[in-house]
Amino acid sequence: MTDKKVVVVGNGMVGSRFVEDLVARDPDERFQITVLGAEEYAPYNRVLLSEVVAGNVGVASLTLPSTNDSPRARIMRGTTAIALDRRGRRVITADGGVHPYDYVVLAAGSKARIPATRGLSPIGGLPAGVHALRTLDDAREIVAATVNARRAVVVGGGVLGLEAACGLAKRGLRVTLLHGSSNVMGRQLGPEAAAVVARAVAGLDIDLRTDVVTEQFVLRDGRVTAVRFAAEQIDTDLVVLACGTIPETVIASSAGLSVAEGVVVNRNLASPDDPCVFAIGDCAQPSEGSSGLIAQGWEQSRRLAAQLTRSRAPESPTLIRDTPRRPSMALRIAMEHLSSAQLDARGTDVVRLKAAGLDVVTMGARPDAANSAQRVVRLSDPAAGRFLEVVVEDGRLTGAVCVGSGQVGADLVVTYTRGTPVPTDPAYLLLRSLGGTPATANDPTAMPEDTAVCRCNGVTKRDIVTGWRDGAATLDQIASVTRATTGCGGCKEAVAGLIDWMAKSDPDRSSSPIGGAGGENSVTAPKHAVTTAKPLMHSAETRRG
Amino acid sequence: MSRPDPTNTHCPYCALQCAMSLAGDDVSELEVKGRDFPTNNGGMCQKGWTSAAVLSTPDRITSPLIKDADGELRSASWGAALDLVAAQIRVTQEKYGEDSVAVFGGGGLTNEKAYALGKFARTVLRTPNIDYNGRFCMASAAAAVNRSLGIDRGLPFPLTDLGGAQAILLLGSNVAETMPPSLRHFAGARERGGLVVVDPRRSATAALTEDGAGMHLQPVPGTDLVVLLALLHIVWAENLADRDYLSDRTSGAGDVRRSVATWWPERAEQVCGIAADELRQVARALAAASASRGGTGAYILTGRGVEQSTQGTATVTAAINLALALGLPGRQGSGYGAITGQGNGQGGREHGQKSDQLPGYRKIDDPLARAHVAKVWGVDPASIPGPGKPAVQLLQDLGTSGGPKILMVHGSNLAVSAPNAGNVIDRLRSLDMLVVCDFVPSETALLADVVLPVTQWAEEEGTMTSLEGRVIRRRKALDPPEGVRSELEVLAELAARLAPSVSFDTDPSVVFDELARASAGGPADYSGLSHERLDSEPVSGYYWPVPRPDHPGTPRLFQDGFPTTDGKARMVAVDHVGPNEDLRADAPIYLLTGRVLSHYQSGAQTRRISELNRAEPAPYVEMHPLLAIRLGVDDGDAVRLTTSRGSIEAVARWNDKIRPDSVFMPFHWGGSGSVNQITNDATDPISGMPEFKVCAVDVQCLAKVSR
Repeated sequence: MTDKKVVVVGNGMVGSRFVEDLVARDPDERFQITVLGAEEYAPYNRVLLSEVVAGNVGVASLTLPSTNDSPRARIMRGTTAIALDRRGRRVITADGGVHPYDYVVLAAGSKARIPATRGLSPIGGLPAGVHALRTLDDAREIVAATVNARRAVVVGGGVLGLEAACGLAKRGLRVTLLHGSSNVMGRQLGPEAAAVVARAVAGLDIDLRTDVVTEQFVLRDGRVTAVRFAAEQIDTDLVVLACGTIPETVIASSAGLSVAEGVVVNRNLASPDDPCVFAIGDCAQPSEGSSGLIAQGWEQSRRLAAQLTRSRAPESPTLIRDTPRRPSMALRIAMEHLSSAQLDARGTDVVRLKAAGLDVVTMGARPDAANSAQRVVRLSDPAAGRFLEVVVEDGRLTGAVCVGSGQVGADLVVTYTRGTPVPTDPAYLLLRSLGGTPATANDPTAMPEDTAVCRCNGVTKRDIVTGWRDGAATLDQIASVTRATTGCGGCKEAVAGLIDWMAKSDPDRSSSPIGGAGGENSVTAPKHAVTTAKPLMHSAETRRG
Repeated sequence: MSRPDPTNTHCPYCALQCAMSLAGDDVSELEVKGRDFPTNNGGMCQKGWTSAAVLSTPDRITSPLIKDADGELRSASWGAALDLVAAQIRVTQEKYGEDSVAVFGGGGLTNEKAYALGKFARTVLRTPNIDYNGRFCMASAAAAVNRSLGIDRGLPFPLTDLGGAQAILLLGSNVAETMPPSLRHFAGARERGGLVVVDPRRSATAALTEDGAGMHLQPVPGTDLVVLLALLHIVWAENLADRDYLSDRTSGAGDVRRSVATWWPERAEQVCGIAADELRQVARALAAASASRGGTGAYILTGRGVEQSTQGTATVTAAINLALALGLPGRQGSGYGAITGQGNGQGGREHGQKSDQLPGYRKIDDPLARAHVAKVWGVDPASIPGPGKPAVQLLQDLGTSGGPKILMVHGSNLAVSAPNAGNVIDRLRSLDMLVVCDFVPSETALLADVVLPVTQWAEEEGTMTSLEGRVIRRRKALDPPEGVRSELEVLAELAARLAPSVSFDTDPSVVFDELARASAGGPADYSGLSHERLDSEPVSGYYWPVPRPDHPGTPRLFQDGFPTTDGKARMVAVDHVGPNEDLRADAPIYLLTGRVLSHYQSGAQTRRISELNRAEPAPYVEMHPLLAIRLGVDDGDAVRLTTSRGSIEAVARWNDKIRPDSVFMPFHWGGSGSVNQITNDATDPISGMPEFKVCAVDVQCLAKVSR
């Protein structure tokens, strides 16, 4: 039974996910859904556009699952919403369509910020050779342009700019990366970490210029040929703008809804001005701020779907606190510890750079000198391209910055999002534990007598020596008296080694050290010599987490 | 009776069913020898070598026991015990209906016994309420494989095929502890550097990847599905899929491809804790090993670690999807397989002790299957009940209003092996009557109102179906002790008392012939087999299906197509939800469970063997030193583990092979250290399989070790 019309404005990563979430939670088909998507394409994974630029991922792998067009969910691609008529409760589209709603969900995302720089027109399209990296078309055009381009300039040293620069460099272009302030990834990194990243960028043959204001894009015949900054000019065939994004808020503000950076929403993701209008994803501005990360948008999608499907009151969507049966893993932990304002952000604010050769992960809180409850431990190792900083509060990891540290970064994300107990000394978070398992020396003389030579049958060196003393001389004979080697067979070499050793040192099975008279200890080397630590790398692999 | 020649049979424990011979005619002098056979090459583990010791265990039950008014189990005659059981069943069914009697079977029973048990429930008791402990082991793999590939045979290829593989991806299986002789077949992949083990612990199996033999991925507990989704994402993103195979031999690839678009490696890393580049490396190694890219072959194998999960069916489905994307199933030298655990875990799920199945792996709600089986049984098809409840639900309902009032248990030690076992014990106690067939006083038998002593493996004839779908012979080496009867006799006696019109044979070879007829035309078709045929070969064993007496058996399935409606394998999109119970402030640590080499299942057999008990005498908690220090727990301290289902106690063992966010406990013990007292009985929505392998736990130091 359909009793509610929901219009979703936007068919991107968050809009399409919301439709899936809503349909999955609405088996009674109480909602009739209309999706208005400006792009002609089926929803695709925007996060991976930089991977397309880098040539790591084919375009076909970007297509996301989407709810099929059906009477229950009409998916209208290439249909741009141009107005929100709140009084009439309808959305007007560019093609003159009118879509009545009970609830409208704004998931229009954001668009690339185009800097007000000479050479770029504030209205109309970008000049030839200059591209944003926000849509599938942008990525396709950039990839096409790389075929003939030799030089590229990337403007903006945030996450996307770094990924784009690395991707273009990987394709063999000479890349210059212009960044307006001193720290790359300034939103996530302090100066020390940013410096380590900058070194790594240089190591990838990317010409990074910081504290640079782009003054002009030089055009010839409408095509970019150079970029001018700080009295310098760099010739280029291709420019990629990665100067941030602007939330799509036009129809919301025209409709009189509160808009700051994005469409202002309350705890229930509803506009404070109209309980029937919701906003999620990049176009929304919740109280804790928009991270621009997909995890936050997907979390909002899930939350809103849960909230709407629980709500039965026709006029006012529920204002009860959202306690879904299965919140995200990160959230479930966070709920117990965090205030409601933090609740939305926790665990969805992990930033993980995707660029071969650049290993950067950040999450959570930054050090706060005023917060005496914080413990901050730092490992700065710029020469090795490494920087780590962890923030621990009340026995939990509340933030971390991790550059050039591989698996440690992955471990920190898990510790952070799951809220697992951190070591008593947080410094242990900065390295992979070496572990305490020494490798058994293969040298029979160095093996302690209680070493399990054959795990499958629990046969120790002592058992094998005893078998030898009792007359077993070959591998088969040892096997038949001790059962060693009869399980997986993996210990054959070790047993053969023991037999050789005994044959050499005690051919007649009587003399010391094998002979019984010498006592038990005579068959083994001193304890301290019995094991050798494996090489560092190996030990480091013995555990994770 | 004198038996001068050694008896050729197979080990009583796991699904590898190592071939062995038993020599000697006295139980105390029985000599166990490894026998050459393709799967174990004469090898056995400690459990196999010592298996004969259970035959002469001092506390062997040799007389029926009936609980008296004081709650003491006292010896009784067979006649008295069987009369009592039959009378109580009759009274209870008259009062509460046929559903009020339930049966719980086991994956260790022979095919003949499993078949007879299913037939007994449907024709004598006429109850739908029969299920078995295979629901705890193989149900998720079975559900996923049936859905995707059309037929469920654990390994649809001979185990020895693994030897030629260039890469093997092994998820959630610790074969080095559970079936050590099988490791021989992994040696080739290790030599080629291609063994990839996915396990939150650096288990003995995971350690086999060291020194260049492969890779060990140590994911966050409960996130194996994410690992698979990411691998699949990479296979497609990097254009490594076998496109021809996908278009010729599968359907649904488009949906699956779109579904994994959201699992790019850097996102997966944040959920499963495996570095993105490591995931890429594994995907590329598997692809390079696949035939379509010139490799010598690749296998993807799953075990209980990933299947005993509320998303176990989804996880196996993802493993199959990955295998299909790489073009592995149905290609000689490659494939997907589930590693069956229990001795007859395979056969046990084919012959009708599963709540929704009839013999031959037929569906109980299929009218044609009902008609066929009813004819073999000589009953009216309409008299065969419909599907019953899966194990966990069945156990939860015991003794409740509307739930079963009588339970018969065969080949299972529920009080130790069921999830949330404390609740199961309460349910067992609430029954009007608990009847347990066992040969030792297991924890479950001790709760029973009537215990019926039954034969053990070396005292009986029968067949087992091993992990590779090979039907093999179990043979009698010596006579059972006086007073002990086989379950076939027990069921025949009860049938004679309750429903004399239905015939129950007690000769295993005759029961097998009936089973073969009942299975004819079903997916697991044994109709071309008989004990005689199995005995006439020097190396016994046929891979089912064997539909005709002249049929050579089917070592490899899917070579010419999949037994689905269109002959294509179905790819099914699945997504990660996460474990049913996740970490919370008062339970901030993952609890994992598993096995040790020296014990089997609930330990009812292996704990009675001194050599095995010496190796591992008591339950323990494996804990990383970093976590232990944080909790103030020294190596050897007693700790208390608490989940939302209760508390248990055990000794802590420091071990750096486990993630610092997790603790591990083996599950082979009853009593206050029985970890299944606190495991989660939430189940997979499709398979009904419980989530043994991960839940949230709090760990407290209980007593400092004295130093």
